[in-house]
Amino acid sequence: MHDFLLERPDTLRAAHDLLQRYGTKAMLKAGGTDLLIWIKRGVVLPECLVDLSLIPLLQELSLSEAEMCIGAGVSVARFLSAEAISTHFPALVDACNSHSDPLVRNRATVVGNVCSAVPSGDLIAPLFAYDTQLEIHGPTGSRSCGIDEFITGPRKTTLQPGEIVTCLHVPLPKPPSSGSYQKAMRREALDIAQAGVCCVFSGKAQDPVVRKVRLTFSAVSAKPVRALKAEHILEQANQLDESMLQEVAILARQAVAPITDVRASSEYRLDMVAELTRRAVRACFAERGEA
Amino acid sequence: MPGKKEVWCTVNGKKTRLLAAGNTTLLQALRDIGVTSVKRGCEEGECGACTVILDGLPQKSCIVLAQEVEGATILTSEGLVQNGTLHPIQQAFIDEGAIQCGFCTPGMVLSTWALLQSNPNPTDEQIKQALSGNLCRCTGYAGIQRAVKKSAKLLAPKLQGGDSQ
Repeated sequence: MHDFLLERPDTLRAAHDLLQRYGTKAMLKAGGTDLLIWIKRGVVLPECLVDLSLIPLLQELSLSEAEMCIGAGVSVARFLSAEAISTHFPALVDACNSHSDPLVRNRATVVGNVCSAVPSGDLIAPLFAYDTQLEIHGPTGSRSCGIDEFITGPRKTTLQPGEIVTCLHVPLPKPPSSGSYQKAMRREALDIAQAGVCCVFSGKAQDPVVRKVRLTFSAVSAKPVRALKAEHILEQANQLDESMLQEVAILARQAVAPITDVRASSEYRLDMVAELTRRAVRACFAERGEA
Repeated sequence: MPGKKEVWCTVNGKKTRLLAAGNTTLLQALRDIGVTSVKRGCEEGECGACTVILDGLPQKSCIVLAQEVEGATILTSEGLVQNGTLHPIQQAFIDEGAIQCGFCTPGMVLSTWALLQSNPNPTDEQIKQALSGNLCRCTGYAGIQRAVKKSAKLLAPKLQGGDSQ
């Protein structure tokens, strides 16, 4: 593996100082389960890795009346074990359980999945569907931005040199809410999505002003996208019927632009988007007792 | 480029010094001190042959940097052996023929150990999920599944502090 210096600051301030000192030759590391493989393959060649795992502030995992806060050091397994997530964020439970395997989940972080910004990142579509905001600390101040502003393309984000994503703020969906993440893959564990669809409903069906639906995707677009037209139809829908479901599936296909690669062809992915959309929407209606 | 650092941790109950450069993996550092049950397989976090229990959690040591384990507690398959006697999980793997080439076995044994710590009586599905990060190219997994079931039975009295009957 390419040689580098490992720095392990225990405050955010010290981490910023290291980023300042090494500039573009430094890279941030949380779990490192993606980054170390990229380094092994020679895709990136940092001179210094700034490991964030000793900074206590970044270990925060908390729930308030309004939101859940997930610090940059929180592993996928630790997040999964938080009781609140199955109550409020069932689509994230689905996604976390389909992410890698139980061993990798003990190390990989939730925030790292977003920062890696690969189109197949399992947690990105549900975090986007739950309207997650990233909190980003820079040398001169902090800012926040949404998932779709943050990820601009495969492995590309708006993170500037010197900036650190410190936590995610995930607002609690308005009750009654339901959510589902459906993933197509070649084997049942440790596999990257061929396609993934996330559907989240919040608010009462009878109240189109309050009701909100999100339909987001994995591995079928260069950056996070929503199927806005399909969401609109679902927001108006009082009950599940097959012709509505068919229309929603067609609109979901139109919202994405998958590529052909070693894992699947573009055509297969489009068909899977339609099928997984139907499954995710059905699961949401079933969870709400509206099916 | 940067030199090696001393890293102190506990390996199988013994205070241990590792010598590691920034890019030394925990897998490499453990093998360097003779802990060879930790196998070098894919080295990309896929196969699970390099599984260790790091601070109580099963993890893949090829994607952990050795300098990150300062002060940590590490358990490997060697550490399960007590006074020359194999651990019941290790014995169950032998008894059930859950081994062919044996390369995946130490990792399988440790993932089983971690599963039974948190869930002494797992269902078939829970066993499959817990071992889903450990690949075996020989056995077809049926023997391994039996070995985990047998381990759970053997360990039940110890884990529950009484007789399993």
